[in-house]
Amino acid sequence: MALVSVENLSFTYAGASSPALRDVNFTVEAGEFAAICGPTGCGKSTVLRLLKREIAPLGEKSGRITLFGEEQDALDSLRSAAAVGFVMQKPEEQIVTDKVWHELAFGLENLGMPQGEIAARVAETAAYFGIEDWFTQSTATLSGGQKQLLNLAGVIVMQPELLILDEPTAQLDPIAASEFIAALRRLNRDLGLTVLLVEHRLEEIVPAADRLIVMEDGRVTDSGAPADVLARMGDSPLFRAMPAASRLWRSTGKIGSCPLDVRSGRSWLEANFTNSVRALPPEEEREAGEPALEFSDVWFRYERSAPDVLRGLTLTARVGECFAVLGGNGSGKTTALSAAAGIFKPYAGQIRVFGKKLKDWRNQSLYRECLALLPQDVQTVFLCNSVREELREAGADPASLPFDLSPLLDRHPYDLSGGEQQLVALGKVLASKPRLLLLDEPTKGLDVGMKDRLLGLLGDLRDGGMTIAAVTHDVEFAASFADRCALFFRGEAVASGTPREIFSKNSFYTTAAARMTRGFYDNAVTVEDAAALALKNGRRGGLS
Amino acid sequence: MRSLEDYHPRAVGLYFLAVTCIAVFSMNPVIVAESLAGSLLLYLVRHGFRDGKTHLGTLGLFVVLTLVNPVVSHNGVTPLFVVNNNPVTLEALLFGAFTAAMITGTLYWFRSFSEIMTSDKLLCLFGALSPKLALLFSMALRYVPHFRRQSERVQASQRAMGLYKEDNLIDAARGGTRVFSILLTWALENGIVTADSMAARGYGLGRRSSYTIFLFRRRDFVFLLFSILLTAATIAGSFRLGYSYYPVFRVDIPDAWGSAGLAAYGLLALLPAIIEIKEAVRWRWYLSKI
Repeated sequence: MALVSVENLSFTYAGASSPALRDVNFTVEAGEFAAICGPTGCGKSTVLRLLKREIAPLGEKSGRITLFGEEQDALDSLRSAAAVGFVMQKPEEQIVTDKVWHELAFGLENLGMPQGEIAARVAETAAYFGIEDWFTQSTATLSGGQKQLLNLAGVIVMQPELLILDEPTAQLDPIAASEFIAALRRLNRDLGLTVLLVEHRLEEIVPAADRLIVMEDGRVTDSGAPADVLARMGDSPLFRAMPAASRLWRSTGKIGSCPLDVRSGRSWLEANFTNSVRALPPEEEREAGEPALEFSDVWFRYERSAPDVLRGLTLTARVGECFAVLGGNGSGKTTALSAAAGIFKPYAGQIRVFGKKLKDWRNQSLYRECLALLPQDVQTVFLCNSVREELREAGADPASLPFDLSPLLDRHPYDLSGGEQQLVALGKVLASKPRLLLLDEPTKGLDVGMKDRLLGLLGDLRDGGMTIAAVTHDVEFAASFADRCALFFRGEAVASGTPREIFSKNSFYTTAAARMTRGFYDNAVTVEDAAALALKNGRRGGLS
Repeated sequence: MRSLEDYHPRAVGLYFLAVTCIAVFSMNPVIVAESLAGSLLLYLVRHGFRDGKTHLGTLGLFVVLTLVNPVVSHNGVTPLFVVNNNPVTLEALLFGAFTAAMITGTLYWFRSFSEIMTSDKLLCLFGALSPKLALLFSMALRYVPHFRRQSERVQASQRAMGLYKEDNLIDAARGGTRVFSILLTWALENGIVTADSMAARGYGLGRRSSYTIFLFRRRDFVFLLFSILLTAATIAGSFRLGYSYYPVFRVDIPDAWGSAGLAAYGLLALLPAIIEIKEAVRWRWYLSKI
């Protein structure tokens, strides 16, 4: 019997003119791992919120939602709160209390559970999620990944029968995101917990999912096993968000059944294509320009007694290139970028911007027509009540921006979607006409469409002569964005080169396409590279 | 090994309440001396002789407080010397010294209190009064650093865009106000997420219970019982005690009840130091077996 069944669900937000959902139908069986995908604004978050009665949006609803075989409205309120777990996007803001143990107990306290039972449940949940080590810490000291894991644990402790997640990994770095998804898979497998989630990053979700539900424009357009859904999917831009293996399968003519993960993609590629041509011709080197940003032997620590964050960092980004800085958490990427923007001062070494020492850029001349930093949390860029005021404050003319912000001008910056906020913030920092643009995790929380748009934009800016240096965790983005990359480890740049050089050498810290073709092709880094090579080689057995 | 930390917050909280209240409300010289000795000993047992600066500062405060009284008050019958036709009396000096001892003793009690009673222990105390109040307290504790961090981030972002001028005071104040105003918006905006997260976990459905990781063990009960008995004995005995500072400094020889009261407070003040020492010795013994 279906655990969740949604029949003819239509929904119009209070005050909205057109419905957000039209005739939505789908079911999720008990024990399934189901994922909903669709472009931004297709109504997927609305569906999730309607399933959780306590936080359902206001508006006009018609149709039927059945949970655990009962009408949603007929569920007892305590049962409804406990049996449907809901985890949202922002790790920090979901946390209610100041201590980890109290956060775990929060839901159970709300149910009025006695002390002894809470103690047992909190203990077993903390043990299951490996939280013991930070059990008595303040929630403020946790990393983003730990916070989100705590949010998950805080819901699981209430023993839900259905777990709903709304883009839970959007704000996490890829390693924390993988760990989070692994935790979800384990819950699903170990406890038979039914999981329903919405996610933009589908590389790891789709192979794990039993059911993929596709939504477009407020409707469910397809639902079923992921391989079948992908096989049926037409020329949808949604495919860009799918795993590398299935994109390769699609762009080489859909031979056989659709592979979903790196392992099956690899065997599928080896079974169907030859590899007599192993490598693509090397990329044309861009002309090496003057150095735009130069670190020479830079050392930095936050406090006298703290450990070094930058340890003799030496690197150069040249005029007119897109430079990507990659590396794990705590490798000093963001610190290096902030030091380049003059926010932190290194205690040894020299940073030069366009050949001039940082301290010689006096009276904020550094920030006028020279350098601009787009921070990781773009909300920190905004100070005003509308986009128009924001741009006016920075002295930006909306008409002269390389992208159109006119539909957003009268909205509050906080009301925009993540991607729109990114664009407005970019518009604001571009107002000072920088020659060197520094970006900190520009793709965090963006969907694939928005990512592509950003890539195009940055390419145009570069072609206009701007130097762009981006710090990112997102290897797929770096592979398409960068002319050169540097890999950070413990406050040093340990390797640098073109994305092809870096990613075809690395075996873990690299793109899915590179992992899939490693040892078979030599320098395929993106799905496009792999597809080009596969098509050049032709099919195995002489068929083509 | 700081064993007082491991006692239940309710026992420790009540102990500190009793010991400081008696110290503050009684100016009996013996009680004041006992309070100072007990609190200082506890601090020394916990920290050793490391915090020289703290002690030196406190000593300075003690001296200043002692000297202030004879300067402004000229009561008393034993003039020590005369300044500008004003006698400086022994009684005023003694009153100053004991007031200073009372204040520094209380200061040391509070130092130990704030170290031992961390926020989660205070929360446990509040939780007993009202689970809602406890939650509010906990949320506030989370929010303050959260707010401060975001404020730092916003300022760094604005600085890196060259839009945040701090060249003069007026610009800095203007910038600060604007950052504060957007932080309020930010707090309200994110408050919605927190509210959803609370509602999704059943907040407001019924009567909340209050969970605490602290267990009330047998030794907590013993500690609490001792504290209550000693406090009661001190209060009972205090009615039999005679003393005065003016016009003549005098401490009467107490009768049996009064002596018992003084002894009870002495024990009360020494109780935490005794526990700490006992635990330290016991720990040495355990350690020798590892």
